[in-house]
Amino acid sequence: MNDRLDPAQLDDADLARRIAAANPAGDATAEAELYRRLAPRVRFYGLRHLRDEQAAADLVQQVLMMTLERLRSGKLRKPEMLASFVLGMCRMVVLELRRTHSRRERLLHTFADDVPMADPQLMPRLDHERLLRCLEGLPEREKSVLVMTFYDDRAAREVARELNVSEANVRVIRHRGLQRLRDCVTEGTAP
Amino acid sequence: MTSACAKPVALATLVEYWLGELDEAAEGAVEEHLFGCGECAASAQAVAELAGGIRTLVGKGLVQAVVTDGFVRGAAERGLRVREYTVARNGSVNCTIAPEDDLLIARLEAPLEGVEHVDLVMLDTHGKGLERIRDIPFNPLSASVLVASRTDYVRALSKQTSQMRLVAIEGQGERVIGEYTFNHTPWPAQ
Repeated sequence: MNDRLDPAQLDDADLARRIAAANPAGDATAEAELYRRLAPRVRFYGLRHLRDEQAAADLVQQVLMMTLERLRSGKLRKPEMLASFVLGMCRMVVLELRRTHSRRERLLHTFADDVPMADPQLMPRLDHERLLRCLEGLPEREKSVLVMTFYDDRAAREVARELNVSEANVRVIRHRGLQRLRDCVTEGTAP
Repeated sequence: MTSACAKPVALATLVEYWLGELDEAAEGAVEEHLFGCGECAASAQAVAELAGGIRTLVGKGLVQAVVTDGFVRGAAERGLRVREYTVARNGSVNCTIAPEDDLLIARLEAPLEGVEHVDLVMLDTHGKGLERIRDIPFNPLSASVLVASRTDYVRALSKQTSQMRLVAIEGQGERVIGEYTFNHTPWPAQ
């Protein structure tokens, strides 16, 4: 039986079913697990589309409070479609966030006490000293291309134009550099 | 439950997604996958964290790197205070760094047309080589190389003279393109 399993052992759809089945008493453990899984995904989507930490955090709050409300009220009829549902909510809320802040404020006012707050522990934390050491260890071309790309999130086309090299060349350098940087930061390998 | 992804999104694709380089259909497909796959979502978050980390380090002036005009413009537009010194080929400049400066840029003027590979050499007060940065990126049409220095290092310097040298690598040999002298004075203590 799913309701006896540790929520961490369930897949997303079963977790959604468990939350829906727990109504009206609720299942705080299952909801916390769902939040733990989905918050980083929603945050990433928010950072990608809003390019702002605070706006991404707001998105997490709004989308997850709406998702939990739907699950609790049994309105999410196909739990196996949870990922698509959450993505759809993200798209909708991002559009709304771009248009106006009023709905966000209203939702936060209405439900703010009813959902878990974004837990900073859930978000990966980068060791900046280590990142700097790894960055400094890269060949200069890779370091420069990564700095020029990610400081302002600029596409290969722009960086290529400024360096008077091909876009493909920038993509190759960028990919090689990022792979080395990631390995160095996560595994401690020399860049 | 976190299970291994049968068809992980490639790192290059995650980066293209992050930078908005994918077309609408490909972007949508990546998003569908990321929302349903914890493993790929974690990889995507790692890309975002690295990008954010680089932005933070650059914003604090902690990265020494060869950059471009577009980068410097972008930094200024983001609100960074940029101090820039232009140095003529074989010329010198009196320079410093203010407490509020975020980025310190040296613009080294140099004839770069026809040059394929350039090394940047850092020299100390006595003209002794401290560091040789091989094969720096540059635009041959720009007639200058822009170097962002680490602001924490420069702030710690006493009054002194140092040099940078640009060296063209040609076949088996090399040729000095230009030397640039920096007469540094620390910002007066308050």
